[in-house]
Amino acid sequence: MLLAQIIVNGLLLGGLYGLMALGMALVWGVLNIVNLAHGAFIMLGGYAVYFLFSELGIDPFLALPLAMAAMFVFGYLLQLLVLNQIVRSAMLNTLLITFGLDVVLTYLAQLLFTADFRTIAPSYAGANFTFLGVTVPGIRLAAFAVAWLLAGIMWLVLSRLPLGRAIRATAQNLTAARLYGVNPRQLYAVTFGIGAALAGASGGLYGMIGHLSPYIGVPLTAQSFVIAVIGGLDNPFSVILAGLVIGMAESLAALYLGPTYANVISFGLLVVILVLRPARALRSA
Amino acid sequence: MKRFFAMLAALPILLAAASVAAIADDDVITLGASVQSTGSQANTGRYYVDAYKLAVDTINAKGGVKVGDKAYKLALKLYDNQSDVGLSVRQYVRLITADKVNFLLGPFASNYALDDSSVAEKYQIPMVQGGGASGQIYARGYKYIFGTLPPAGDYYASTIEMMGKLDPKPVRVALVAADDSFDVSVAKGTRAQLKSAGYELVADEKYAENNADFSSILSIIKSKAPDVILWSGHETEALNFIRQMKSLDVNPKGFYAFTVGVPTADFRKALGKDANYAFGMSSWLPEPQLADPWFGNAADFAKLYQEKYGYEPDYHAASAVADVETFAVAIANAGSLDPQKVRDAIAAVSFDSLYAHIKYGENGQIVLPQVVIQIQEDKVVPIYAADFLNKPEYPVPAWGARK
Repeated sequence: MLLAQIIVNGLLLGGLYGLMALGMALVWGVLNIVNLAHGAFIMLGGYAVYFLFSELGIDPFLALPLAMAAMFVFGYLLQLLVLNQIVRSAMLNTLLITFGLDVVLTYLAQLLFTADFRTIAPSYAGANFTFLGVTVPGIRLAAFAVAWLLAGIMWLVLSRLPLGRAIRATAQNLTAARLYGVNPRQLYAVTFGIGAALAGASGGLYGMIGHLSPYIGVPLTAQSFVIAVIGGLDNPFSVILAGLVIGMAESLAALYLGPTYANVISFGLLVVILVLRPARALRSA
Repeated sequence: MKRFFAMLAALPILLAAASVAAIADDDVITLGASVQSTGSQANTGRYYVDAYKLAVDTINAKGGVKVGDKAYKLALKLYDNQSDVGLSVRQYVRLITADKVNFLLGPFASNYALDDSSVAEKYQIPMVQGGGASGQIYARGYKYIFGTLPPAGDYYASTIEMMGKLDPKPVRVALVAADDSFDVSVAKGTRAQLKSAGYELVADEKYAENNADFSSILSIIKSKAPDVILWSGHETEALNFIRQMKSLDVNPKGFYAFTVGVPTADFRKALGKDANYAFGMSSWLPEPQLADPWFGNAADFAKLYQEKYGYEPDYHAASAVADVETFAVAIANAGSLDPQKVRDAIAAVSFDSLYAHIKYGENGQIVLPQVVIQIQEDKVVPIYAADFLNKPEYPVPAWGARK
């Protein structure tokens, strides 16, 4: 049945969208940095998984944690050495610096990897199964599962682990957190690293579903931004849910209005939500 | 006093130097272009940059271009438009007004050619472009734009003709096209041709450029059970479409075809086995029968290109070479560098090149049929051009049934 298929498509797509937005929401919520280079991190994570798969033969799903670790180190160092300089200054500075970072990373990728398309194509890339008349692509289902898994792990970290408590404390009140012994520079670096790792994971999954090139970043940054705003910056699960909402909205719009309206719907929803619930979006601004 | 004489002595030297410089400039014909070397179109833009350079080098090595009884060398002035149409337009203005190039070559893609050709028309400098096929480029009555890619609206003409000769004959057709200049032209022409040939258009979907997700379109198409899917867009999206076709298990009963991607080596490399059975088209194949005054023939050109650049050329590269050759021939025929005279010479030109027989229509666009091709066992096989050249693998097996 077409409607059921469209709904399933939307949910699965939304899961991946949510995962992409998770890293951005975390960084935004804690560091008050809107990372315009987020899409570039997704792209780099994707290339990391691609090279692990094509050069070393590591299965992409097994390569995901490795790529995440590499992206964590990359994000950690970036925050420690570069972004910590501007972390408590005006929002405009963070936008400028991350925008510049996006351009630099994109063109570095073009130089290193050329503009050739890459696809992460393990033998099971096209696998699918049919359930009650709906075809479910295997990789998308796996991406959906990974999204919820990572959101769950993040939720556990934030609510149970000392590190998570430190992150939440810093986000709420930096002075009080410092009084409790939190080292902000370290903490910011760890948080940014986690955000980069999450971006990297979504990049690896994206490469299995679509393709990789140095230029895939910008639309993904925009998408993640919308979902982060809609989902709010506190709860990982609500970010994934927001992803599902957007995924569903785009799918249904494609069916009833036409596929060219996908972006109209995402950004339209953003406008509606900002108008109805500005407090949520302005909380961290 | 000594100073005065020293300066006086310097004068003739300066004059001599100036005139030498002037003579050196006179011996060069500069062709200017703004091409996508970086940005989202860089993947195809590089074919143009590399082909322009190879053509200019080869023509110069064989004596350059004769204007009257003087031999001129060709030179290139290339800018990177970073896949930004606005920047491309500004760069063409700069090429004409500041760099004072003699003539213009084109960018890749119709929406760039559409705007850039307006610059050529405004300044009345002829542009020969091999990157834009959209009919919109030639529909404005411009006199200074010529193109070596055949009309977008006719891209599927050979395919539709072939469909009439297939057994079992397809009936239900699904059309998917992007919303940029080129694809809108393709869709418009294809719709008309399908209608007059009596096919049933069961799905007619449009999508936004740079869209990565086709799951909705594919689900809609699947629900209509078409025999044939005709797809028009750019390479990036074609790749995503095929991958998602496989993962959503969309199997048209007959075949599926693309306007781009299929002839290009890195597209097939990225898809691996998933590229097999796909139909596509090319206005050019590297056949030895295509003779060329500078390169020998198309097969020799392909070999030379591959050796020099490390990747196979496709019709984009051949089209770009034809553009440079057009100028070489037209300038020699005109016997002058005057833009108006060269423009008239281009309009009258008729010669054989490694790309095809070059002759421009009334509106400036070349007319060439597309050869229908299919990927069979990782190789591009020409299938149909006025008649069957090779046997097609038809009907295309379902994804689950392939080895």
